[in-house]
Amino acid sequence: MAQLPEGRWLDVDGIRTRYFEAGSGEPIVFIYGGNFGTGDSASSAYTWSLNLRPLSEHFRAITFDKLGQGETDNPKNDDYTMAAVVRHAAAFISALKLAPVHLVGHSRGGYAATRVALENHDLVKSVTVVNSGTLSPGVGTNEVVLAKPPYAAGTRECVRWVYENYSFNPKVVTDEWVDAVMYTLSLPKYQESVRKMGSEKLGTKLFLPELAREKRETLQWLNEGRLQRPVQVVWGFDDRTAVIDRGIELYQMFARHERRALFHVINQSGHFPFREHPERFNALLRRWVESLA
Amino acid sequence: MMVFVHGGTPGVTPYVSGPHIWGSVLQRFPQANAIEVNGQTIDAMTQQIRKAIDGKGRCHLVGHDLGGLVALNVAIEAPQLVSAVTAVASVAASPTGDGVGDFTFAYPPKPLWSRESQRWALERVSYSHYHIDDRLLDACVAAAGKQPPMTPETYANEFVPSLMKAKSRFYEVCRTDGIKVPCQIVWGSHDPLATFDHGLWLFRGIAQKQRVAQFHVINRTGALPFREEPAAFHQIVAAFADGH
Repeated sequence: MAQLPEGRWLDVDGIRTRYFEAGSGEPIVFIYGGNFGTGDSASSAYTWSLNLRPLSEHFRAITFDKLGQGETDNPKNDDYTMAAVVRHAAAFISALKLAPVHLVGHSRGGYAATRVALENHDLVKSVTVVNSGTLSPGVGTNEVVLAKPPYAAGTRECVRWVYENYSFNPKVVTDEWVDAVMYTLSLPKYQESVRKMGSEKLGTKLFLPELAREKRETLQWLNEGRLQRPVQVVWGFDDRTAVIDRGIELYQMFARHERRALFHVINQSGHFPFREHPERFNALLRRWVESLA
Repeated sequence: MMVFVHGGTPGVTPYVSGPHIWGSVLQRFPQANAIEVNGQTIDAMTQQIRKAIDGKGRCHLVGHDLGGLVALNVAIEAPQLVSAVTAVASVAASPTGDGVGDFTFAYPPKPLWSRESQRWALERVSYSHYHIDDRLLDACVAAAGKQPPMTPETYANEFVPSLMKAKSRFYEVCRTDGIKVPCQIVWGSHDPLATFDHGLWLFRGIAQKQRVAQFHVINRTGALPFREEPAAFHQIVAAFADGH
């Protein structure tokens, strides 16, 4: 099984940022999903462990821990907002001095990738959005499928339950994946973000209302044709948290303005098609980047 | 080996397809072999393709419209000959339902099969007319001279029943044993002969039992996406082959 390369650190506007890179050539930057301060699951750069190495055989493949997630520092001044996540992602890409890059964003990371492109066109060569209910218009069903896990938050059982319910085939949720999530959850700085978002209520008072406001603006910008970069939408067909209709709506929104807009559906895949079908996802991404190089 | 199976049978469509319909996209595939399809029924076409690929190793069949259904039919009958199927704008294979009448080809200019009549038909099914060049039209006219169009009687009495029979078997297999080889559906976003949903439901049928199934849409293309966006088409088909 492919592993992430040795992690590195980069100072991004005072935020100590963990990142991973391998290979040479066209730069691809992967942005995973989730957000800081969730107690029953926790994303990190590990999410792309089946993709970074294989694609680094052809390209310079990079992923990083988003602001407040994985090992990267938490936001300064309690700025627990998606806008801060997007600013940090853009600053990270600038700091790499590799722009323009091909951005690949999953779930909340699909929103972040698109927003980075909308605000920083010069940093971005193309955008790939994967199963992003956060970006798509329409009703997301995350809270329906994952409501009240039957295990205590922060336990291995809870983490496994959450990712199994995201997936088509629960067997793809390996011990290694659960270990990676448990490691992030164990970090004191991550637990601080859980407190901020939970008991200090920044999740409901700040993060979600700000995301809702900015999502309205983001969709308006997309409808106005402001993305102006080649874009593809990749969707796991069996995702119950971001159903296929969300992907279709999103693709059609992009396709109205961009000739180079493609839509791909991968069967027997839930929310993480790049983990359930890594060979197929990597092949699609490789051919996409080669076609634009 | 990749084997390209065209659709566009004269008398079923008002343009005459053939190996020429694939155009420049064939040059992007190093092992492409475009077959000329004959026959008045789906079964006859299926047997012809099956015979043509027998003994040549497992082939990735890329079929357009009727050719897509024929390719899927070959995969059902002889999966040992097929490594994968790509069905492109295969309106013939997609569910019909109680659809509304499609008038895309309702009033072709006469004489039928002439250069202008075929140009009209090709323009009608395209997003943009720019891919319709002299080379394509010359080839379509030449093909019309070689192959007499299907008569209305043959169309009604033989072809349509064979199509319904083949579709019925296809959907039965999708529901029961499943198609035994990886399959993908490639659709044009602006195909006037079929909606986005037609393509998605064709995919849904295959996806019931075949794990390796994909659906792709190429923007700003009609019923001939491989001609209108050859680079994107190649990218999708090559990626499917890479992923085996």
